[in-house]
Amino acid sequence: MKNRIRVFRTAALTLAATLTLGTAQAQETFRIGYIYPSPAADVGWAHELDEGRRAVEEHFGDQVESVIVENIPDGPDAARIMNQLAAQGVDMMMLGSFGYMNDGLKTAKRYPDIDFIHASGYKTLDNLGNFLTRNHESSYVAGMAAGYVSKSNVIGMVASYAIPEVIGIINAFTLGAQETNPDISIKIVWLNSWFDPSKAQESARSLIAQQSDVIFSIYQDTPSVVTVAEEEGVYVVNTSSDMKPYAPTYLLASMKVSWGDYFIEQVQASMDDSFKGESFWGGMADNAVSVESISDDLSTEQRATLDARIAAITAGEFHPFSGPVIDQSGQEIVAEGDTLSDADLLGISWLVQGIETRLPQ
Amino acid sequence: MLDSIVFLLAGTLAAATPLLFAAMGEAVVEKAGVLNLSIEGMMAVGAATGFAVATISGSYVSGFAMAAIGSAILSSIFAVLVLFFLANQVAAGLAVGILGLGFSVLIGKNHEGQTIKSLPDLELGWLSELPFVGGVLFSHDLMLYVAIGMIILVWWVLSHSRLGLIIRAVGESPDAASAIGYPVVLIRFLAILFGGAMAGLGGAYLTLSYTPLWAEGLVAGRGWIVVALVVFGMWRPLRIALGAYLFGAVSLLELFIQGQGFSIPSQLLSAMPYIITIVILVIMSRNPRLIRLNHPASLGQSWHRNA
Repeated sequence: MKNRIRVFRTAALTLAATLTLGTAQAQETFRIGYIYPSPAADVGWAHELDEGRRAVEEHFGDQVESVIVENIPDGPDAARIMNQLAAQGVDMMMLGSFGYMNDGLKTAKRYPDIDFIHASGYKTLDNLGNFLTRNHESSYVAGMAAGYVSKSNVIGMVASYAIPEVIGIINAFTLGAQETNPDISIKIVWLNSWFDPSKAQESARSLIAQQSDVIFSIYQDTPSVVTVAEEEGVYVVNTSSDMKPYAPTYLLASMKVSWGDYFIEQVQASMDDSFKGESFWGGMADNAVSVESISDDLSTEQRATLDARIAAITAGEFHPFSGPVIDQSGQEIVAEGDTLSDADLLGISWLVQGIETRLPQ
Repeated sequence: MLDSIVFLLAGTLAAATPLLFAAMGEAVVEKAGVLNLSIEGMMAVGAATGFAVATISGSYVSGFAMAAIGSAILSSIFAVLVLFFLANQVAAGLAVGILGLGFSVLIGKNHEGQTIKSLPDLELGWLSELPFVGGVLFSHDLMLYVAIGMIILVWWVLSHSRLGLIIRAVGESPDAASAIGYPVVLIRFLAILFGGAMAGLGGAYLTLSYTPLWAEGLVAGRGWIVVALVVFGMWRPLRIALGAYLFGAVSLLELFIQGQGFSIPSQLLSAMPYIITIVILVIMSRNPRLIRLNHPASLGQSWHRNA
């Protein structure tokens, strides 16, 4: 049985949650609570988390039962939902937003019998692990494809905020594009907003008006930028989900994330009482990131080069940040023969040479 | 370079259109003496309704029509609260606005993250082929021109018609208007419905033309800009329209400048549309006599007929 509650606004929240969650029943199955920050739409962040949930249900069948709570803003609402799920007797909780971290920590301390996995946080406990994806790996490969198809040698990027994860993706994409097209230059528009599809579309249009012939849509949960690119006839790369249906002609590649394997592994660990609160940073080798729907407009040799890179990254033979890497000010950050460490990558705060736009200070 | 200028000017017209619809409606509502702060929610309901109806029926006409009706229904809740139960207009407006945001999620639930084909541009033949002017002025969809028509209509009605005189009388002094026999509550009710329908059209323009997709929170604060535009535009339709176009222009210019790679902090650029619009409108309206002349005297006050 699935207990699906949809909560729309704070006022309705307590009531709805009490009513639906209140019907706790004797438990034989392993119950998992999933909390998403946004509705699980057809594409985007919450959709991919929900795909992970589906994979768990498919793998374990009747052994597991899911309780899904969508669209929960960070803060007191999230804390209340966590407590209610705990009171209802779930065995495990998946917290789907960075902003749930502090409430998640408190709840995890209060309920040591429940195991937690938390998206994109950086704190762990014995019963709280977190998970992130190495999106720079898929980003590098997508960048290579962009370098191949660009004729104007200008790539435009639409980004939300300049946080390390986003900066890492931008840099890797640029390095990838430079590998296949040394003359490439990059323009970025920072939206300074997590969610404004209209502004994202206008940004894409403005980048196209400024000669960009490949657009990179970074962490836009809606197909806003992708549809503009299809309409204007320029190539587009996007993150999180495969957005081929929204741009059948001009989608160059989608950088997909997949949580299924990780979720299944963690649920299994929790069932076997072998759960450890660890940080998981999944890359191509873990099936956590992949490059999907690569355009057929690439030549066979170009495609072969991309596939070779994907194979090398998966095998651990190639790191997107292999030296020499030079930042915008001309300073060498990674020396020849070295690679950027994970710790440096997690705190990355500089852009590579070849990007025209500065970081917002 | 010319391409970029065409892009900026044409984009400005489109960016201002959702604001214009809602602002023209709100101007009439406030001129009738009612402060309706629920525009954000009404636009969201219009956006979701328009998108859902147009997706299901395949007809843009029914999409826009149902968006107007849907938001008008929501605004009637506000009207009943403030006109019959004499609720505080600010509080009622905020409450109905939040209700509207919630409703919009409910209405759009099955369409979250979906896209739709944008409202097609009008076929204007040789006009659209004109160099420069064609690209800027004559390559838009019908609703953009309807919005421009609404500016002229609202301006003409408010300042040159008998109906406008009655609306303004109700907003200036409901007691006097009532004393000479005008049904103050009915006029205000109709004004609020008109405001709701216009906000609905503005919302539907967002999801059916400007950003042809539905996602929760898509209105992203535009309803609040409208409230500010109406006040800083001193309740005069032409000034409000100027403010809306200015806002549209600066918000596009911001993205454009970022792409050019100037070393101006992007946070400052993101704040520019708000800062520049408000500064210019404040400078334009710094004459206190003008403000007194234009400010509806009974704005925001509850009124009931003394027996």
